[in-house]
This record gives sequence, C-alpha cells and structure tokens, in this order.
Amino acid sequence: MGAMPSVLSTPAVPASLSRPERLRLWAAIRIGNAAALASRIAGRGSGASIRGQVLTRLAPDAFAQLLQGRRVIAVSGTNGKTTTTHLLAAAVRAGLGDAAGRLVTNADGANLHYGIASALSEKPAADIAVLETDERVVSDMIAFADPELLVLLNFSRDQLDRHHEIKALGRSWRLALEAAGTSGPVIVANACDPLVVWAAQTAARVVWVETATTWNADGALCPACGTILRRSARDGRDRWDCPGCSLAQPEAGYRVDGDRIVLPGGRMVRPDLHVPGSFNVSNAACALAAAVEFGVPVAGALAGMHTVTAPAGRFATAAFGSTRARLLLAKNPAGWAEALPLATSDPVILAIDSVAADGKDVSWLWDVEYEQLAGRTVVCTGPRAQDLAVRLTYAGVDHEVEPDLRAALGERGGPVDVIATYTPFQRLLKMAGLR
Amino acid sequence: MSEPVDIVLVYQSLLGIYGDRGNAMVLRSRLAWRGIEARLIEVEPGTPVPAGGAVYLLGGGEDAAQVSAVRALTADGNLYRALDAGAVLFAVCAGYQIAGKTFTVGERDEVIEGLGLLDVNTRRGTERAVGEVLSSWTKPDGTQSLITGFENHGGFTYLGPDARPLARVEIGIGNAGDGTDGAVQGNVLGIYPHGPILARNPELADHLLERALGHPLDPLPSEELDELRRQRIAAVRKAGLRR
Repeated sequence: MGAMPSVLSTPAVPASLSRPERLRLWAAIRIGNAAALASRIAGRGSGASIRGQVLTRLAPDAFAQLLQGRRVIAVSGTNGKTTTTHLLAAAVRAGLGDAAGRLVTNADGANLHYGIASALSEKPAADIAVLETDERVVSDMIAFADPELLVLLNFSRDQLDRHHEIKALGRSWRLALEAAGTSGPVIVANACDPLVVWAAQTAARVVWVETATTWNADGALCPACGTILRRSARDGRDRWDCPGCSLAQPEAGYRVDGDRIVLPGGRMVRPDLHVPGSFNVSNAACALAAAVEFGVPVAGALAGMHTVTAPAGRFATAAFGSTRARLLLAKNPAGWAEALPLATSDPVILAIDSVAADGKDVSWLWDVEYEQLAGRTVVCTGPRAQDLAVRLTYAGVDHEVEPDLRAALGERGGPVDVIATYTPFQRLLKMAGLR
Repeated sequence: MSEPVDIVLVYQSLLGIYGDRGNAMVLRSRLAWRGIEARLIEVEPGTPVPAGGAVYLLGGGEDAAQVSAVRALTADGNLYRALDAGAVLFAVCAGYQIAGKTFTVGERDEVIEGLGLLDVNTRRGTERAVGEVLSSWTKPDGTQSLITGFENHGGFTYLGPDARPLARVEIGIGNAGDGTDGAVQGNVLGIYPHGPILARNPELADHLLERALGHPLDPLPSEELDELRRQRIAAVRKAGLRR
C-alpha cells in the first residue's frame, strides 16, 4: 500500500486547556475512573455511565473540553447509530493501519454527553474520535466539537413519551447546522428520509446516500411546508418530492442496490458484512461514504467493516444454559420492521419492557406487523409480555406468556432468535457475560 | 347474507403516530370473532373517504398533520355525510382535538378551525399530559367500566354545552386536569388516550360497534384481556398521581 492519504494522516492535538482547567479535568477523570472501577468490582457493568456522571459533575465543561482539538466524526439518527459507528470506526482504523491507536470511539453505545465524555477521557491522546451521538446531543456536538463529518441516518417514531414531536429534533439539527455555516461539518446523509434532508439542507456540503429505506410512515408530510409528499417510482426506485415547495429527494452520490453499494462514478462494491439485513447494507453505505470522505480508500474501508460482528452485542449469539440464542435489538416500529424478518426460529422469543429507556408507552406494538409471524409460536416475555400477548391474539399468532426472561429462554437447545427492547436486551447481554 | 360492516381508518399516514391502527384492528376482529363479516378500509388523502362505513377512526398526530387532515376531510365531505347517515366516529388524541370546533398549533398557538363535530375547544395546556391514565365510563346500562390507556398531549380541551364528558378521570390529566376525559355528542366520541385504547377496553370497543349496528352483541369473554386490564389498572394505581 502506498502513502496514506494526507487528509487521514493529518494529526490533531487534543485539548489545549489552561492549567487550572487541565488540573480540574485531570482530577475529575481520576475520580471518575475510581468510581468506574468500584462499579465494575461490584458487578454493575462497565462503569462507563458512572464515570461520565462523575466527570460531568466535577468538570461540567468536560464534554466540550474533551472534544476540543480532536478530529471528530459524529453519527446520529433514530436507528442504526451503534452499528454504523462500529462500521465506521473499523473502516477508519483499517485506514490508519499501525496508527489505529489514534482512534477513540464510544463503542458501548453510551451516546449522551457523559457517555461521550467518558469514552474520550479514557483515551486522552487519541486525536481521531468516531462518536455515536444521541439525536438530542447533535446540536451540542456541532457547536462544541466542530466535527469534520456528521453522519445522519434516519428519523422515525421512537420514545414519543419523551420526544413528543419527531420534527422538533430535525429542527434542532437544522438550526445548529445553520449556525455553524460554512465552517460546519460535511454531512453524510440519507437522501430517502425527508426530515433528514430538510435538516441537512442548511449544511455547507452534503454527501447524499440513497439507502434501502423501508419505513416511510413518519415521512408523510413535507417538513418544510406541511404539504403531503408525493412518492413515485423512477427506474424501479422509489423517490419522493413535495408538490407544494422545492424540497425533493436529492440525487445521491452513493446508492444501495440489494446487497451492493454503488459508488460515485458507478462502480459497484459488495460489502461482505457479518451483520445481517438490508438495513445494515444501508448503514454500511453511510459508513463507507464517511470513511472515504475522511480519506480511507474504499478497499481498506470494506476490509475494516468486514471485521465487525456484534456491535455492542447486537446480533451476538450467546449460551443461556442449553439454549443458544441470537440476540436482536428493536427499539421502535422501524427497528422491528427490520429485525422481524431476520428472526426465523420457531419458537421466537420477544421481550418487551417499558421503563424510561424503552419508552413508557407500548402503543407502538400496534405499529409492528407481527402478523408475519403467523404459523410459528411466539414466547412473550418481559414486564409487558401481556400487552404483546393481546397484540398477538389480534394478529392471529400463536403464543405463550412467560414474563420471566430466564424462564422464557428455558432449556431449548437452539438456535433460537430473541428480539428485545432496550432494557431486556441489556439484561440478556449481562446474563450472557457480554457486558 | 348481509353487507359486510366497514371500519374506516382515516388518514393513517397523518393521524396514526401512536399505533392508532390498533383500534381499527380491534373493531374488525371483534366483529369477525362473532361471525359478522367486517372489512378494515384504510383511506389516505387524495382518495375519497368511503361514505358507507359503520365506524370511522381518527388517531394521533403532530401539528402539521392535524391541519392537513382537517383540510382534506372538509374538502372531501364524506365523513359528514356518513355521520348524518348514522355512522359512529371514534377519535383519539390529536384526532379528538380536530373533531372539535377549534384547536391550536405551533409555538405561536395559531387557532385552527376543526371539523366542528364536537362542541369542544382545545388550547395549549399548563403542562404536557404524558402517562398512564385511568378513568371511569358510564355504560348505556348505567354501570361503570374502567378505561385504561396512555395519554400524551400538550393541548387542554374544554367542553361546550352540546358535548358531555365521556369519562371521569381517576388518575391522569384527561381533558384539562378538570376530572373529565373525552366528549360525546350524538354518534361522535372522542378521548385522549391514544393508540390501542380499544385493545385495553373491549367494553368501549363493543359499545362503538353496538351503536353503529343498532343492536347488542354477544359477550366475548377473554381471560387474556382481563389479565392485561388487571395488570394495567394495578400499575397505574400503584404509580398513582406521581406518574
């Protein structure tokens, strides 16, 4: 391989702080690390969350300070953040080769201010940061990190008991990008999602990716003018545009075609992924576009993405007694629409909870087409198993109810597919020793 | 053989953000399980609303979607014709708001004219109402039935003299924190708990069907549904007003 592209090898110098700031941050990191160690010893997980909380308590500006001077790529959207971040980090690492230690990422999916601060504090010298970023943190990320690249995947209904309006999130991105102006990040964005397109419209430069989006239920109206969007097929591909104003699906540089990605210029590559589903081909296309923008050659990026198998436990296979289970995460209707076709076992185990991290309202159960499971048996588990059971009765799907997660896994041999909302998914990872 | 009963799900792409399709699925299935042929008809803006439906359903949605829905339904006119012919309208959440005389949208609280089917007006509330809600509904036979659901709305709704409350709130905000939830006026019923409220409240579902058909329906006992109701009622009472 020849010399690395100059843009990739460009070094940065993390955080040039004043001496008191540096001392304060240093002390906060030490205390945070001690708290994380205590949490690990007590068997309460990785400690990333408690480290971040201590850090932001003792050094409230830690998020902004730790981001300073790093070359940041941020990834956001309702679904696919964690997997895309893993794919992109792997692609950039492959591009860096021996210098892969320059990269820091929040691989555990802790994507709020303190989760990001926690990850950064662990690798103070790493000058390239690939950061999964919660939708609500994107505007702060743009304001404080001056990111080079921002990957915007999609918007769909998710935890409406907390977010209320999807459009408000898109508006916050749009305003932040407008404020950043020409010095703002280059955007890699999903051209199929009207709200993403509207949010990214104010950015200085956008690399559009035409994904294999299947969930359009949250893109009925034009985010700019409120007119009902028109959807039509052109060359066998669905496109959208607004009859009421000029907003329309942009021509994309990158395009997903089945299990292949069409590059700008027309060359096709097949990302040999170890994460399943067409949704992840779309995620890989976005990661690839961002990696290439960052200076990673296509071949290197693909080789890197090939190494990603179970990002933060997603799609991992684990043993629970004699049961071998494949673990799938689905947090909202769009996520379920992608995950359900991947779960092919009979029985299939579905785990539902409704604490804050899952969304307290399980009305979304009626937005998911569980009808496709007819002919198989579903084991309903988790605290809201009974809500799922009633939904399945109306869907005409055979089911049994076992609220206890461990009992639901049983001694089944395997392999059995488990789809879980956020909280039971984390419990499964813990039970399997994967976190 | 009689004509199939049509359940019309109106503008799901605009008013369907909280799984509101569930109400239509529940109504259709509860007829089918009794051997009554029923169809679920979905209509989107741009296509005429069928005028011969038995029950029409409006669900939850965001501000811009409410405005678009009112515009399209008013221009279409068939919902009004169907209600004149004796059909039942069941509207939840944002759908309940647009069924009224006026509601507001946007940060500047722009007042929008609704469908005018219920004598209610909606204005920005003093707090956002989010959480499990429990209320009591007086059935036509005079007995009480608990309604369990989930509400999520920023508007408060005030009833005029022609509408009466659908339910009395035990836990939650309901119309305006005034101890009532929903409204009834003729064959139009509205209430805040969104989405699959009829899944959790089969007596309310059957009431809508009986009203639309004009005759009582056979009971349809379900231990599974009873257990779900027990769980949700216990959970909301345990959490109480601290939700």
